[in-house]
Amino acid sequence: MMSEGAEKNPSKSPAPVVASVADLQVHFQSKRGIVHAVDGVSFDIHDGETLGLVGETGCGKSVTARSFLRLVPKPPGIDAGGSILFRPRTTCDACEGRGCESCHQTGRVSAGCSACSGKGCSECVQSGEETLDLMQVSNSRMRSLRGDRIAMIFQDPGKALNPALTIGSQIAEVFYQHRSAEVLDAANVDVSGIDPGSLLLKRQAAQQSRTIERTLLKIPPLRSRRNQITAAVDDMVADALAETQIANPRKIMQRYPHELSGGMRQRVMIAQALACNPDLLIADEPTTALDVTVQARILELIHELQQRRQTAVLYISHDLSLVRRICDRVAVMYAGRIVEISDADQIFQDPRHPYTRGLLAALPSATQSRGKLAAIEGTVPELVDPTPSCRFSGRCPNEVETCARFDPHLQSVGDEHSVACFIYHEPPEGSGGRPTLAARSS
Amino acid sequence: MQIRDYILRRLMVLPILIIGTSIIVFALTRIGGSPVGIYLSHEMTPAQVAEIEARFHLDEPVPVQYFYWISGVVRGDLGWSGVAAAPVAEVFPNKLAATMELAIASGLVAVALGIALGTIAGARRNRLPDHIIRIVAVSGASMPMFWFAILLLIVFWVNLGWFPLGRSDPNIFASIAHPTGLYTIDAILAGSFKAFVDAIWHLVLPAVALGYGATAIIARMMRSSLVEELQEDYVDAARAKGLPERLVLRRHARRNALIPTVTVIGLTFGFLLQGTVVAEIVFRWPGIGRWMAAAVLRGDQATIMIYVMFTSILFLVVNLVVDVVYAYLDRRVVLGE
Ligand SMILES: Nc1ncnc2c1ncn2[C@@H]1O[C@H](COP(=O)(O)OP(=O)(O)OP(=O)(O)O)[C@@H](O)[C@H]1O
Ligand code: SF4
Ligand SMILES: [Mg+2]
Ligand SMILES: [Zn+2]
Ligand SMILES: [Zn+2]
Repeated sequence: MMSEGAEKNPSKSPAPVVASVADLQVHFQSKRGIVHAVDGVSFDIHDGETLGLVGETGCGKSVTARSFLRLVPKPPGIDAGGSILFRPRTTCDACEGRGCESCHQTGRVSAGCSACSGKGCSECVQSGEETLDLMQVSNSRMRSLRGDRIAMIFQDPGKALNPALTIGSQIAEVFYQHRSAEVLDAANVDVSGIDPGSLLLKRQAAQQSRTIERTLLKIPPLRSRRNQITAAVDDMVADALAETQIANPRKIMQRYPHELSGGMRQRVMIAQALACNPDLLIADEPTTALDVTVQARILELIHELQQRRQTAVLYISHDLSLVRRICDRVAVMYAGRIVEISDADQIFQDPRHPYTRGLLAALPSATQSRGKLAAIEGTVPELVDPTPSCRFSGRCPNEVETCARFDPHLQSVGDEHSVACFIYHEPPEGSGGRPTLAARSS
Repeated sequence: MQIRDYILRRLMVLPILIIGTSIIVFALTRIGGSPVGIYLSHEMTPAQVAEIEARFHLDEPVPVQYFYWISGVVRGDLGWSGVAAAPVAEVFPNKLAATMELAIASGLVAVALGIALGTIAGARRNRLPDHIIRIVAVSGASMPMFWFAILLLIVFWVNLGWFPLGRSDPNIFASIAHPTGLYTIDAILAGSFKAFVDAIWHLVLPAVALGYGATAIIARMMRSSLVEELQEDYVDAARAKGLPERLVLRRHARRNALIPTVTVIGLTFGFLLQGTVVAEIVFRWPGIGRWMAAAVLRGDQATIMIYVMFTSILFLVVNLVVDVVYAYLDRRVVLGE
């Protein structure tokens, strides 16, 4: 078992920001009105850190996560505003992605802003690095980021793998989509010519072949070259699977998803997600659907790979004790908003928001797992056409009349620690009283 | 189990099923009375009738008659067709070819078109293409076939005169050799463009009448299963890998959506075969369907027997093909269990 905090990022100086969510609002059209599933969420993810996103079911965690990849179905989803700025990295030239001194063993280096060539301008928010707004980029750019720079692991690996395709051919797709030049390189296939054969092979390596082209590629002169490509991709797939400590990658590649156990499938998903060494990994409750016995091992695997590659991870869970084990920072979400965000140790030692306090009080004990979030009295409010108010009002022990009429906003209460509650910041002019922490509830 | 072993095992029980079917059908047709009427004419004397009955063993008990019949079938003697006024074995291949040509043409078009339309509708759910295809599908599945066939006949043959009746222009048909019996294929083999156009021209109306319903059924099934598949997690996972929408649809969703559709295609085949009778009567197509209809009306039992035997074999084979295709598409299926 991992010791508390010992393996977490030791450096306290904030690493560069890889993704920055600002006032994200995602709504859904429904018969009863507009559901404000995500209603003004803001947070940053730093390079190489694990950020935990916790909250009760239906509070908008998955919608937030899916927004990074623009996978929220529209309709019924509506982009209601906000931005997700993302700074993609490129492969380190010095080590070709294997990891070296200059790239801090990550194999990735930041890409310069093309508008200001690194000096800092408005387009890159003065960072000097290439900056994209994931809500605005073109569809083709979005596609090039998906699976390459931003990857995702889903909750149920049994459903996230296509039952009709072999494991190997599913992972291979990532390489065909994002590494076709490397594939051709590794396969030693010369496609520099402009003859039809080279063009066909180039399209094959990028998974662009139509049925008729694939038939042509089965004819002898092209067939051996096509087989070289397939073999090169197979090697890459086997390597990716080996990374996740799968014993016999070559054999697993031939299998279909239903032939594997749940834990094995999740390893496959992890291998697929990390295949291109992404800058950001989104893990949406990756262990919830698994047997309790394999949960810990999958969690450890994600943590270990994250440590080795220094990939930033957005780890979504409704299990606080689990988040505590692997996260550097934690954001607590409630009814479409972030109510508290802070360093993990800080939030567990000194929770500020009444909701967070309630959650922690509900945990059986700090080290014992299996504490679930539902132990606070009352139910999550309807998110249909909400009026300005603290979303926790109605359930909050510290609530005063002001809380039901105005929106609290995230306010810094200390080093990298912010809370959205009127206990910690002045309510707007003309409101009634201000809540206080009457009694320490924990 | 290996697919090959499964096919062999199924093929081994085929003869038993065929013999069983033949006994049942033979017994049923004999319940309807002696088939002797088809061989008689008004001028015959009772002695002559008795002589004919004895010649065809019709005076023997039914099990013995069955024995004579089945041993004839084994020797290639399928009996005498009163309707065609010729031995069944002689007429059957040509009529069968005509019917198969019609069934295969409309079947292939129905499968290809049904899957294509269903895919378009499912992928563009609740948008204009979906609405248009839905109208086509609902009308195709609910219109009685004979009515639709007659409608086509009235509009395109009676009023507009764009398409002919029958299977061919006799002169053109006679101008080429017929090694396969399928007019379109024979025309291609003979290299005769004129014959090929003639074949297609005659095929259009009956094939459309026959294939419309099947197309509609397949399209509806394809659409609904595609809509369902597109909501699965693996579709989003495929998108999350960076796959373009075209590949998400073709490589991932459509393949799985085909699984339930294949079963429906298998069922549609029966629908198609049944429809050939109507289509052949309406469009004067010289196939077994029309022959069969006449045989039933006139008690031509030799013809009925062969038709029923043949369709049961066909159904068994189609079911086998459906099983194998299903197992190929759905890897979770274990054949033979
Ligand atoms: N496809 C959709 N159509 C309509 N509403 C949706 C859709 N997806 C999400 N929502 C709405 O968004 C809200 C938040 O959903 P989300 O899936 O983000 O919750 P979650 O925090 O991930 O919960 P869980 O822990 O159950 O996964 C839901 O309550 C629902 O009302
Ligand atoms: S703002 Fe009011 S209701 Fe909301 S958490 Fe703070 S005290 Fe409770
Ligand atoms: Mg969720
Ligand atoms: Zn490097
Ligand atoms: Zn810049």
